Amino acid sequence: MMKNIKWKHYVNYIIVGIATIIFTILSLTSSLSSSSLYALEKIAIAIILTVSLSLVVGFLGELSLGHAGFMCIGAYLGGKAAVLLEPVFGNTIMTLLIALIIGALIAALFGFVIGLPALRLKGDYLAIVTLAFGEITRSLFMNSDPELFGGTLGLETPRFDRNYLFIIAFIILFICLIIIQNIIRSKHGRAITAIRDNEIAARSIGINVTKYKLMVFIIAAFFAGMAGVLYSFSNYTIQSSTFDYNYSIEILVMVVLGGMGNITGSILSATFLTILDIRLQTILTGDMAVLQDVFRSLILIVFIIYNNAERLRPFREKYNLKSVWQRITMKKKDPNKDQDDEHKWDRVPTKIKMDEILTLNVNSQEKEDKDD
Amino acid sequence: MFFETLINGLSSGGTYAMIALGYTMVYGIAKMLNFAHGDIIMVSAYVLFVMISLTGQPLIALIISIIFSMILGVVIEKLAYKPLRGSSPLAVLISAIGMSYLLQSLVQMIFGTAPKMVVIGDLGSITMFGVRIPVYILLTLVCTFLIMVLLSIYIKYSKVGRAMIAVSDNRDAAMLMGIDVNKIIALTFAIGSALAAVAGFFMMIKSPSLTNTLGAMPGIKAFTAAVIGGIGSIPGAMVGGILLGVIEAFSFRMPMIAPYTDAIEFLILIIILLVKPSGLLGKMKREKV
Amino acid sequence: MKMLKRLLTVIVVVAMAFTVIGCSAGGNDSTSTNSEYVIGFSGPLTGDAAVYGTAVNNSAQMAVDEINANGGLNGIRFKLIATDDAHDATRVATNYASMMEDGMQVSLGTVTTAPGLEFSNLSREDNVFFLTPSASADEIPQYENGFQMCFADGNQGKVAAEYVNTTGYDTIGIFYKSDDPYSVGIYEQFKENLSSDIETVEALFNDTNSSDFSTQISTLQDCSFIFMPIYYTPASVFMMQAKDILAPDTIYYGCDGFDGLAGQMDLTSIPQEVTMLSHFDSNATSGPAYEYIQKYTEKYGSDTLNMFGASAYDCVYAIYGAMEKAISEGIEIPVDISASDLCEILKDQFYGDYVFSGITGDKITWDENGFVNKAAVKYVLKEAD
Repeated sequence: MMKNIKWKHYVNYIIVGIATIIFTILSLTSSLSSSSLYALEKIAIAIILTVSLSLVVGFLGELSLGHAGFMCIGAYLGGKAAVLLEPVFGNTIMTLLIALIIGALIAALFGFVIGLPALRLKGDYLAIVTLAFGEITRSLFMNSDPELFGGTLGLETPRFDRNYLFIIAFIILFICLIIIQNIIRSKHGRAITAIRDNEIAARSIGINVTKYKLMVFIIAAFFAGMAGVLYSFSNYTIQSSTFDYNYSIEILVMVVLGGMGNITGSILSATFLTILDIRLQTILTGDMAVLQDVFRSLILIVFIIYNNAERLRPFREKYNLKSVWQRITMKKKDPNKDQDDEHKWDRVPTKIKMDEILTLNVNSQEKEDKDD
Repeated sequence: MFFETLINGLSSGGTYAMIALGYTMVYGIAKMLNFAHGDIIMVSAYVLFVMISLTGQPLIALIISIIFSMILGVVIEKLAYKPLRGSSPLAVLISAIGMSYLLQSLVQMIFGTAPKMVVIGDLGSITMFGVRIPVYILLTLVCTFLIMVLLSIYIKYSKVGRAMIAVSDNRDAAMLMGIDVNKIIALTFAIGSALAAVAGFFMMIKSPSLTNTLGAMPGIKAFTAAVIGGIGSIPGAMVGGILLGVIEAFSFRMPMIAPYTDAIEFLILIIILLVKPSGLLGKMKREKV
Repeated sequence: MKMLKRLLTVIVVVAMAFTVIGCSAGGNDSTSTNSEYVIGFSGPLTGDAAVYGTAVNNSAQMAVDEINANGGLNGIRFKLIATDDAHDATRVATNYASMMEDGMQVSLGTVTTAPGLEFSNLSREDNVFFLTPSASADEIPQYENGFQMCFADGNQGKVAAEYVNTTGYDTIGIFYKSDDPYSVGIYEQFKENLSSDIETVEALFNDTNSSDFSTQISTLQDCSFIFMPIYYTPASVFMMQAKDILAPDTIYYGCDGFDGLAGQMDLTSIPQEVTMLSHFDSNATSGPAYEYIQKYTEKYGSDTLNMFGASAYDCVYAIYGAMEKAISEGIEIPVDISASDLCEILKDQFYGDYVFSGITGDKITWDENGFVNKAAVKYVLKEAD
């Protein structure tokens, strides 16, 4: 019976579910310090951002450098809604939910607006438009009326009870995973990856490219907006300088490090990088602070080279968990059995370029996959 | 006032253009966003600082800083980008971001946090049409233009330059034709970094205060300029850079909209790209199925 | 096989998750194991504003070392924790929690204004006393536990405007940084208090454009008096670029952010006059400020010497002095006192009749809002040629 369940479809839910339950129990028995609770909030926010950006970068194949802009809109508008609602409902779950919806919906609206140029622009040109969007958003909130959005000093927002906020954040993360994974695994998801692999071919078989591109941008912006609202509830102040292009790039780093189009990888890399940042920040204090970036950058470079270098491919294949375990158990691969590789469905080649045939490159199919 | 603001715009635009030239060079041929480009400028400016305080000769210091940053560019390419040859451009992007952080923090470790003053010398100014124009602006523009022309000629007509175009068009086909792709890309980085050092020199003439975050913002502006001009187009990088500077200057000149300069700059860029999706001088690539 | 891989993944994640708990396990009760009084602060030790954070870190450490060398407070030594926020408010909460877990009992708040508001809110939760050397926004000491050693922005803007009103200029220039709360805070109060007879010409810059001021200089070229509520690093760039363009008798008038300018650039190379209204002058040649400058330069060199450091040095001594006074009044301050208890003791002192004299001012007191009362001195850094 167990064998009929496709475990790989549920692994992310299991990870997040187990983490939520464990930490909820720990939190309720009050053995979690406030720094751990804050770290959990940060992790949940980072995962939501990474997974939603992964939909744009990994599945639709468009480079977006303005994800923090959506988050900024969510944080400011959700935060402002919370400030206005607080006298009515108090700092309760009610305020949080309404703020979440307002922030996410307005962010989604801007996702639609940014999705429009995406219909016309490609690659780096689109990347610069998203970057421009993020910077415009930041600049507008920076120079806003101090009465309205706090101006340069930032907006003071109510902070939610730290003992419960991370649970809400994890539940939202769970919902986000359900929605995004279900989209990816449905016919819509296949249409989206088809657009990534070859837009003209996708169009020729009747895929509505306009609809899917807009859909991806709207969904990604929606969840980035939610992450923004959660951010505003996890801190007392929000400042637009936080949401600059560096922040967008940080999210992009998490997506790429986790592997393009790999949700589990995104979750792990977001968790890993967030914890790494916090650890470095709290360990390397005083005169040692300058070493934070040294370590962080070295870890980034080593990781990305280890994961992606062509030369290291035999090494990686020889010493990954799977093959090491195989050697321990001395099991041989059964050629008759279907090797259900992870994301195999995502790796179906949909195009061969003329150049590739000319170059006779044996690895061309693999390369093509990555070059996009 | 119009003319004056235009000159001011050329002042920052010239610098952006010069950085964008180096940027677009690497960007067009190695097909990667070199986020560490701004930091190579920063490191070369520190070399300039050390050399000027040692020798007192700006030109000697400039030559040493060019050589140093060429070596640095090639070393970075070998260490951080070459192992990733053939994998996703985004993986290289991450490596470049890592390099950028690394260079910044290493410089902070060596030179400390206090800004350094690099005094290269005053070039004075001349008066034209009743407007005072500092000589460094003219020098920057002339140099940028010269570099642009030379670079265009070099790439179009020399053997190595044509090899660069070939590598940029199709790396595998170029390899089949007997082009040493590794060598060409290393050379591209060497030239790009040399341009970074020159840009660093001109930045120091204009604004002598030097910190380890000097390269971050111009780097992103140069990227914007390169994209606006059309990726890989060398004249485009210059046009894009100057345009960016001029927009900035006019926006700063108008009190009502001055605080929103960043927003206006980027808004105009979005509009330009929507009208001309491959940048001002970029070529539209036809997509193949 | 697949099952196993999933299982391993889950194990890895759970293990990682536990490291999160691990990083703070035992943190809750570490306060009781203090063997020293712990002072903490959060400041930019890396990034754009690192020079200000470094100055605070160096000076505060110097003060703590001096106090310890003199036997501490009744034999109990002090310890300084300096965390890095890179001038970014998002990093403050982590820093704050980590310092609390390391047993922080009293704090210097944040070095810069931008992250200061977050710190002010967080410290109110646990009732932690903080005396910030340089986070100068009016909102920083908004709760009872917060105090400033520097002048509040609003106050600086007002005093500057009152001074300008008496000078009799018809038109003055203002040059400020539109995305910096310090600069905008002073600018707004300055405009509000400026006499309506005086016309202003304004130019501004921001983070993305802080190395080329040619447009701004052109805008301001007809002004003979320019008010510049900005920090000294961009100010030095402005002055270098403007030296031949603006009239030689132009007066640059700055606030406490100007201090450090002399260490940054050769002021004699520009013809214009540079004046600032501040509480500290790094060029002082006598008095307690001079002693501090000597000590600092000997230890850390002169290139990070500025008002931030001097103010932090005073903050440590002010806290030390208040604790000493409380003890002399018969209040016990055990080494493992909780932050909240210490806060109450210090609050009584700072709101009470405690008077502190240091290098940034003589007979310093604090008012009921946590703002500092001390003399602002007009320093002429360089006269016009």
